[in-house]
Amino acid sequence: MESHTRPLRRLVIYALLALMMLFFIGPIIWFVLLAIRPPATAFATPPVLLFEPTADAIWHTLVDPGANAKQARNSLIVALGAVLLNLPFSVPAAYSLSRFRLRSKKFIMLWYLGLLMAPPIAFLIPYFVLMTQIGLSGTYLSMILVLQTLIIPFSVWLMKSFIDEVPRELEEAARVDGASWHVIMLRITLPLVRPGLIVTSMFAFVFAWNNAAFPLVLSSQQTATLPIGTLNYFASTGVTWSFIATAAVVAMLPPMLIFLVFDRYVVRGLTFGAVKG
Amino acid sequence: MKFLKNGLSRRQILKTTAGTTAGAAAYSLGLGGRAPAYAQSGTSIRVLSVEDPFLFALRDTIGDFTEQTGIDVELESLSYDAMQARLVTSFVSNTSDADVVTVDQMWTGQYIDNGWIRPLDEFAAGDADLDITDFMPEVLYSLNTWRGHLATLPVAAYAQGVMYRRSVADTLGLDIPDADGSWTWDAYTDTIAAMNGQNVNGTDMFGTVICGSQPTPIVHMFTQAAASYGARWFESFPASPEWDFTPTVTSPEMLAAVEQYARLYELSPPEAINYLWFDAGTRFSTGDIGMFYWWTPYFYLIKNNGYMTGEPSVVADDYGIAPLPVAGSTPQVISLGGWSFGIPSTTEKADAAWEFLKWSTSAATQKAMGLVDTYNYQFSDFARRSLYDDSDLLSIYPYLPTQAGMLAQGNGKIARPPAPVYTTLEGIMGLELNKVLIGQQSADEALSTMNDLFLNTLRGNFLIPYSLPSFDDTPEATQALISSLA
Amino acid sequence: MATIPVATTAPSGRRTLMAYLPYLLVAPSVILLLGLIAYPLVFALKNSFYFWNLQTSATPVGFVGFANYRMVLESPEFFSSLINTLILTISGTALEFGLGLAIALLLATRLKGMSVARALLIMPTTIAPIVVGFLFRYMYDPQGGIITWLMASIGLDLPVQGILGSTNTSLLAILIADVWQWTPFFAIILYAGLLSVPVSLLEAARLDGASAWVLFWRIKFPFIMRTALIILILRFMQLFNTFDLVLVLTRGGPGTSSRTLGYTLYQQGLIDFNIGMASATTWLVVIIVNAIVGLYIFFAFRKWEW
Repeated sequence: MESHTRPLRRLVIYALLALMMLFFIGPIIWFVLLAIRPPATAFATPPVLLFEPTADAIWHTLVDPGANAKQARNSLIVALGAVLLNLPFSVPAAYSLSRFRLRSKKFIMLWYLGLLMAPPIAFLIPYFVLMTQIGLSGTYLSMILVLQTLIIPFSVWLMKSFIDEVPRELEEAARVDGASWHVIMLRITLPLVRPGLIVTSMFAFVFAWNNAAFPLVLSSQQTATLPIGTLNYFASTGVTWSFIATAAVVAMLPPMLIFLVFDRYVVRGLTFGAVKG
Repeated sequence: MKFLKNGLSRRQILKTTAGTTAGAAAYSLGLGGRAPAYAQSGTSIRVLSVEDPFLFALRDTIGDFTEQTGIDVELESLSYDAMQARLVTSFVSNTSDADVVTVDQMWTGQYIDNGWIRPLDEFAAGDADLDITDFMPEVLYSLNTWRGHLATLPVAAYAQGVMYRRSVADTLGLDIPDADGSWTWDAYTDTIAAMNGQNVNGTDMFGTVICGSQPTPIVHMFTQAAASYGARWFESFPASPEWDFTPTVTSPEMLAAVEQYARLYELSPPEAINYLWFDAGTRFSTGDIGMFYWWTPYFYLIKNNGYMTGEPSVVADDYGIAPLPVAGSTPQVISLGGWSFGIPSTTEKADAAWEFLKWSTSAATQKAMGLVDTYNYQFSDFARRSLYDDSDLLSIYPYLPTQAGMLAQGNGKIARPPAPVYTTLEGIMGLELNKVLIGQQSADEALSTMNDLFLNTLRGNFLIPYSLPSFDDTPEATQALISSLA
Repeated sequence: MATIPVATTAPSGRRTLMAYLPYLLVAPSVILLLGLIAYPLVFALKNSFYFWNLQTSATPVGFVGFANYRMVLESPEFFSSLINTLILTISGTALEFGLGLAIALLLATRLKGMSVARALLIMPTTIAPIVVGFLFRYMYDPQGGIITWLMASIGLDLPVQGILGSTNTSLLAILIADVWQWTPFFAIILYAGLLSVPVSLLEAARLDGASAWVLFWRIKFPFIMRTALIILILRFMQLFNTFDLVLVLTRGGPGTSSRTLGYTLYQQGLIDFNIGMASATTWLVVIIVNAIVGLYIFFAFRKWEW
């Protein structure tokens, strides 16, 4: 493909690319800089690009997040818990919807989608009452459970599209050899949709990690997550931008790292159909 | 837990234990040494606090409490919205996991009436350590009492006052009065107008700065002007034997206050329309505002360049404090606010919680909080009279006598009446005022819409006509309560 | 599509199990979700007909018929919230789709460096919306915010009240923050869709002399539409319920210029604690979204292969 590209066109494309990256990545860098810059330069006009970051700020941002550490740990527990709980529910459902003839398949698929319609913010108080009645309020599990209402529907749809792409001939061959459905699903199909599992889990992790609404009422002082932490620096008598930015950077890094580390799956996963079977 | 099942409350058990060890405790306290053996020694309590300046000072002194009482404290802090969400939902389901909670004065009545927090009368009565007469009665009236009960204790008490730039006033030859009742809102506005647009020492000045953001910030600031003008929200509440919530927001006094506030906005930076509480103070500390009025914590917050940075701002040595203006001969009313601690009904550690309340609001602790200098001395919101002529504190916070005068004129229940649906009314008022500032409607239109919406809300919530028992909630009633508890 | 004929060849003892297997696999997720979603929906439905304001009473006071619905519909915020929400949602999804598609096409040129660009591009989507709110509040700051400074430097006439303080720009400011966050999501997924277009198909069309324009609309676009239909509706529903950005950026102001239904719900539920009114609003939102999404599904999913 590259050989078809004329130099001028290439120049235009790279210019567009640079502009695009500036627009999408520039603000993130700007926020990271806020976390480590001397507070006096935060709102300087014209903006100060060069400064000597305080060693203290770098330390607290990247190495020892201090008060944010506990909330980061809580966020991690909730997000990993949400991912782990999601898979055993959504993968079999996706498999079934992809492989079997269900009379109400269309209805079920649309029903999952419809779950995302209701405004989560309206459900905070009922969820709190519900979780209290079953003795779960303030626990990680309460947040992990409630997050499933956002994560499972998304995961079923995504996983189904992945499983759809696995050639049925493979399963058919195994079936003829006498393998039962669960052997086929676990030994043949799932290994083939590993990229799908990874991508689905990545998105589930990020949705859970970033959710601010549910922890607002479902967490306790022991289980509060990072978004609640950032809100705290937005107090009634003052806003501490460097604190907010520090907490925000702590909150931004893990999802970004995950997406960078598993980058090859993001597209390979989503384009599974393009990979010749 | 087992005690509860046997029909014996933890508190009763503790009471008996406390009785047997009371002598020993009193003895060790009397000697002024460490008090090692409290009844609650070894227990641990959870304190849920709002994130506000007092918290930083409290956090730095909390070790003293554990040392004195043997009670461990887990201090959690949340932003106001998150805290309120957590508290109300946990109260509805009876599952508050905190032993001490921050109670907003606007919600005190609901917390007590719903039985979410327990009245403190029985704890306070006869507890000489509390020294209840040292609290300013205006503060207890505004923040801590409801229907003749002591509901909470004040850990930080705010009034409102004027802050101005000395150098600006001097350069422009403007006289800022320092005696109470010595200037009117018109004089105040004229002074601001004289500062507005002037270039002073190379800085283009704005006359003043207001908070424009709805719902809460604009209402907090506006209601001070309204109270000064003599405006009232309702026909008769709370200082009346017969409560009547018929709104009176279309009064000429309220109109004058709205017009005054709109005038102040014209002399403010235009972006103040989106300013939250802290934005106004932060803006003043950047040096281009001549004069503004706001909650008293800003008397020390503006000394810093940014919240909790500990770095001095450009105005740190160049500002003065003045009392608020009055409207003609209308008696001054200052809006009082702040934060208070209460004891949720769900806690089994009420006695330990009471120890914490008493300790955190005591003169000794409040003074220690005022002397914390981690962030350049940031706490002078004392509810205790005795601290206002404390020489150590005066050398750090020289404005304390002026602040004491502001508190003495305070009546938080007039400025922002704690009606049962206050937050809804605040939302309405905030939005309508905000629309006046952006020129979407006139002050007249705003007030008549406000009146209609107030009526709808109050009727819809069965407050008009009011059928529940009223309570003649006057400063005198609070005074009587204090005497009975002392 | 060939579906594995279940049960027909299974031993008779397992016949019933195998017949129900497809449903048994779906059931756990459906039961869990029903359990989680039914409670709040029923809670909201019931309480929308009750007077229950936590400011005045800890428990529901009494049945009031449609009074809560009437109060919501009569309140001055509801319709401006609805209109703002529709503007935000429709223009947001459209912009994110359009820009995302353009970027996907750019990435699909597969020049050197594109894979690195693509890997970095997804970053905004991985950030919590509340953090995005703080980030943009910082950049929009009228005094020293970098966006304000950039706009002023290129000679744009900014509102004197600041970007967030003017009724003309406050909603736009929220929209831009959302577009910033979610365009990469569209771009990556649409890019993945573009890659799935069979090369043989493209080559064949090229040999027939098809122009780039024709290639795109006739071959590539139909291929990515399937994915696009789903993410469009996902984003639409997410954006319709947005509240974090509004909370941090403008609190719905100035006036009602940036108030959304999500924020109105937040105010009714978690500031005013009026459960009755919040419940009524919830059901109004569910009905409105249902109507829109229902129409969308009816038309968009007609040719869908299930």
